[in-house]
Amino acid sequence: MTLQRRLSRYLRAFGATTVLAASILSFTGAAYAQVMGGEIVVSQNSNPPSLDAMATSSGASRNINMNVYETLFGFDENVQAIPILAEGVEISDDGLTYTIPLRQGVLFHNGKEMTARDVKASLERYRKVGATSNLLEPVENIEITGDYEITLTMKQPTPTFIEAFSSPRAPAAIIPEEDADAEAGKTSMVGTGPYKIVEYVPDSHVTLEKFDDYSQDTRHSGPDGFGGKKTAYLDKATFRIIAEPGAAVAALEANEVQIVDQIPVPAARRLESNEDIELYENLEWAFSVFILNMAAPPTDNVKFREAVQVALNMEEIMGIATEGLFNLNPGWAYPDSPYDVGDVGTEGYYNQGDVDRAQALLAEAGYDGEEFVILTDSNIPEHGRAAVVIAEQLKAAGINAVINQVDWPTALNIRMQDTGWNGWTLQMGIEPYLGPVAITSTLTGERPHFVEHDEELEALYQELVTGATAEARKETFAKIQERLYEFFGIIKLGDAGLMQAARSSVKGFKTFRFPRVHDVWLEE
Amino acid sequence: MPTEESLSLGQEMARARWRRRRVFVARLFRHPSFLIGAVILVLFTSAAVLADVLAQHPPNKNNYRFILMGPSAEFWFGTDGYGRDVFSRVLHGTQVSLTIGIAVATLTGLFGTILGTLASYVRWLDALIMRTLDGLMAFPGVLLAIALASALGPSVTNAVIALTVTFTPRTARVVRSGILVVRGMQFVEAAQAVGAGHGRIIFRYILANALSPLIVQLTYVFAVSIISEAILSFLGVGPPPPAPSLGNIIADGRTYIQEAWWIAVFPGIAIATLVLGLNLMGDGLRDILDPRQRNDH
Amino acid sequence: MTLFIIRRLLSALPVLFVVSLMTFLIMWLVPGDVSAEIGGSDATPEQIERIQAQLGLDRPIHERAISWYANLLRGDLGFSYLLNRSVVDAVLERLPVTLALASMALVMATMIGVLLGVSAAVRHNTWLDQASMVAALIGLSIPDFWFGIVLIILFGVTLGWLPTGGYVPITEDVLGWARSMALPALTLAFTQMGIIARMARSSMLDVLNQDYIRTARAKGMRGRTVVFKHALRNAMVPIITTIGVTTGILLSGAVVIETVFSLPGVGRLIIGSIQRRDFPVIQGGLLVTATVFVFVNIVVDVLYGVFDPRVRDER
Repeated sequence: MTLQRRLSRYLRAFGATTVLAASILSFTGAAYAQVMGGEIVVSQNSNPPSLDAMATSSGASRNINMNVYETLFGFDENVQAIPILAEGVEISDDGLTYTIPLRQGVLFHNGKEMTARDVKASLERYRKVGATSNLLEPVENIEITGDYEITLTMKQPTPTFIEAFSSPRAPAAIIPEEDADAEAGKTSMVGTGPYKIVEYVPDSHVTLEKFDDYSQDTRHSGPDGFGGKKTAYLDKATFRIIAEPGAAVAALEANEVQIVDQIPVPAARRLESNEDIELYENLEWAFSVFILNMAAPPTDNVKFREAVQVALNMEEIMGIATEGLFNLNPGWAYPDSPYDVGDVGTEGYYNQGDVDRAQALLAEAGYDGEEFVILTDSNIPEHGRAAVVIAEQLKAAGINAVINQVDWPTALNIRMQDTGWNGWTLQMGIEPYLGPVAITSTLTGERPHFVEHDEELEALYQELVTGATAEARKETFAKIQERLYEFFGIIKLGDAGLMQAARSSVKGFKTFRFPRVHDVWLEE
Repeated sequence: MPTEESLSLGQEMARARWRRRRVFVARLFRHPSFLIGAVILVLFTSAAVLADVLAQHPPNKNNYRFILMGPSAEFWFGTDGYGRDVFSRVLHGTQVSLTIGIAVATLTGLFGTILGTLASYVRWLDALIMRTLDGLMAFPGVLLAIALASALGPSVTNAVIALTVTFTPRTARVVRSGILVVRGMQFVEAAQAVGAGHGRIIFRYILANALSPLIVQLTYVFAVSIISEAILSFLGVGPPPPAPSLGNIIADGRTYIQEAWWIAVFPGIAIATLVLGLNLMGDGLRDILDPRQRNDH
Repeated sequence: MTLFIIRRLLSALPVLFVVSLMTFLIMWLVPGDVSAEIGGSDATPEQIERIQAQLGLDRPIHERAISWYANLLRGDLGFSYLLNRSVVDAVLERLPVTLALASMALVMATMIGVLLGVSAAVRHNTWLDQASMVAALIGLSIPDFWFGIVLIILFGVTLGWLPTGGYVPITEDVLGWARSMALPALTLAFTQMGIIARMARSSMLDVLNQDYIRTARAKGMRGRTVVFKHALRNAMVPIITTIGVTTGILLSGAVVIETVFSLPGVGRLIIGSIQRRDFPVIQGGLLVTATVFVFVNIVVDVLYGVFDPRVRDER
């Protein structure tokens, strides 16, 4: 109960806190002279599978969609839930009724005003086609209780609802009622964001144009995470799909592209001295992890898994996999984040590269040279590179490691089976961003990443989601971290960074979970 | 029952064949294209076979401290993003590429001969086989190989299967038309007249004489397979890591083409040279075996 | 002639049927489905199952085959899972890019190839002949995607003369379009000019050795006139056949070159759809590409028939 009260108080008190933020922002903002107009091209390496924001959880789609669509609630810069299209939320004392007033005068790209009807229709559609439609599972009923108000009735109190519902993974975008019956991927691509989609040529580009009638969220003084007061300075922003990283860098150098969503680190090193190009490093982009299959031999043996853990030299794996842009971090939270519990439980296990100890453990496990299949995909280069280095290190420790590198759909298909693989490499992007609950939920429930359930972890997860205070939850999370270093179903390799680059003429760009093209302008 | 005349005819033909063969080999090695091509192929084959001796470093040994280093006395072709020796990888990659090339050429020759012979000999099968092959050939170039390799999953075997399916149709057509030409010729009719069996006629006379265009064709299949493997690897459906192939070294290096040009450039040159050698050999063989198609006058 | 064309057109039907069967075989073999793409690279199994259920991806292959052929007969190739448009629209939107690329490459390859081949033949057994043939052979031997990368570095980055990739529609900016197509077309042309140059040379040599050419020369006709008025015209038949073959290779070469230069053509559409498991687009795209290819060959056959009446009667 306390959490929801705190949350709603927080949301209501929002107006007050922003006053302070506003004065700081406007002060720093004065240093630049924002320029209206101009066009930029942003390159990214894969084609968005859908421009129907709620129907996909792919990053390639999110990059574009988050400039076009908006949600009721979303995260601010510090990953706290804030209202975006909602005015706020009033949660009843029994935690069963959420009254959500909406901002008025918000226009869709088609010129119509957003009302409660659109919001209800969008949420109902999210239930059907939302890629993470389980977010609405706690909701019993969605009711229109005013022209600009909807009311959600819960099946049972769910303290984490608003936070979970703010997730940008597959955003619960608000779209016009007319699109409510559209099948996944077949909407008119209309949203309420500062930019609207004007052209989509698959494998080539998506063109966004400034939405002149965009209604800014004036409760803020500037952009804040996924929300805040967004300003579209640029007339046009084109997302170009350039699959080849080398080609994307070349295009940036030739000024055909002004922002590159991800550039290879060696290229960044080369461009460091180039005055025309600005580099943006994000060291908290993803957790690199190595997941073991607890259902298939030889990884069904905990001693064997322990041997794998101690055999690995994380520095070498991370160094090669991320091309040198990484932090060694044994913990399951980013350093200095609210849930950072340091290296509790990890001593003697992380970044060991200890062949002798690994061999002793292998002997103890009774390992006799069975194949250890590392599944990896060719779509995310970091996955494949990590797998190659891991395989070499495991071979050195006497494990018969083989790599099975396939394309992403095949990898996922194999992974959904209980056998046929022993380990797979993954860049966990969004979960570490969302925090402990999101991470632990992928390791528990119907099908944990490592296939088998760990009962103790399941219990700790329940403890975590029902934890009353932040301190209590942090304490639980420390236990979760210790537990992960006891059964070795998943091995933390390190924190992987993201290198982005832009032309120096691009101002206001900040590295974030998606490339924001609003509040970005071109220097004259 | 063989008669005196037929026996002496057989002996005469055998002697003629032997003579032809000797003259052929001698002419082949006097042919400049073939000679240069053969030298290139021999060089590459020896380098591939002796890869472990010639290269100072194992091909898959990664070393974090030596990432993306330029060519030096220690690493002749520099190192890649894993700190691996590109020279060693190019040599071992040549092994893989040659293996794929030889396997595809052999299997294509085998299936091409079987299908081509069946089509030319068994009348009711002709239409069925040829329409199916036409269907396969209607996929432009390597598109079919790409689709098949994606479906089967990346491995050397699957690359060989995908490329064999892609190149067999054209080879079968070459065999079929070669046979159709030879079948009408006098010496075959003569053999039939003296009562030689179907099997004997096919193997001894017809295939032996349809062999020339087939050999020329297979040399080109060999060359094209090596390029096609590179294309499959470039698109991520070729032989999987960490084992090197000339194609996947280029694929690894294309990201760093400006920062570490050596990764993609050396295997690219290796492919171009090897394929050039094979094409030169093919030209030489064609000039001598198949004078109707001669390029030189 | 009309009968010949009709016969050739009818013979295309079984070929395209085989093509469609192959696409089903590929779909049946390929593991995974489009949910992986929609879910993204860190999707959880639960999420994937939800997406699969929503899209009805669990239908058996024979059911899909029956409904696909039924729709095909109505001229409907289905709707893409990912592209927010019908397969027909997706392919038609891309076809101009691929056809433009292939035809620009063809024109370049033919011009350079015929020039090289003819000059080699005219200056038979000189250094020019040798050099031309070595150039042709090198063109044949270089992997085109690799050559494309080298050209990007040279002309796109180092010299900065041409864009490094991407496509500008001709309707928007003619010059921009030409610039965006220049490097990819050159890359493709370079590998194909070898084939054409070799064929042009050998058929030129054949013709130059014919009696009537010798007669023309003996009569004192100027060398250039002989070459262009008589020899080249007669050498065109085999050259056109080669160009037909080349067109097919160009269409397939375009597949890879489109990826290297980020051009939104049919090849990249098909490869992308294979990687994303967008089955309707894979099938429709392959069928359309094969159809184009088959019809190009028919056109070549017909042209060949026009030039050389014996062919028509034989078939």
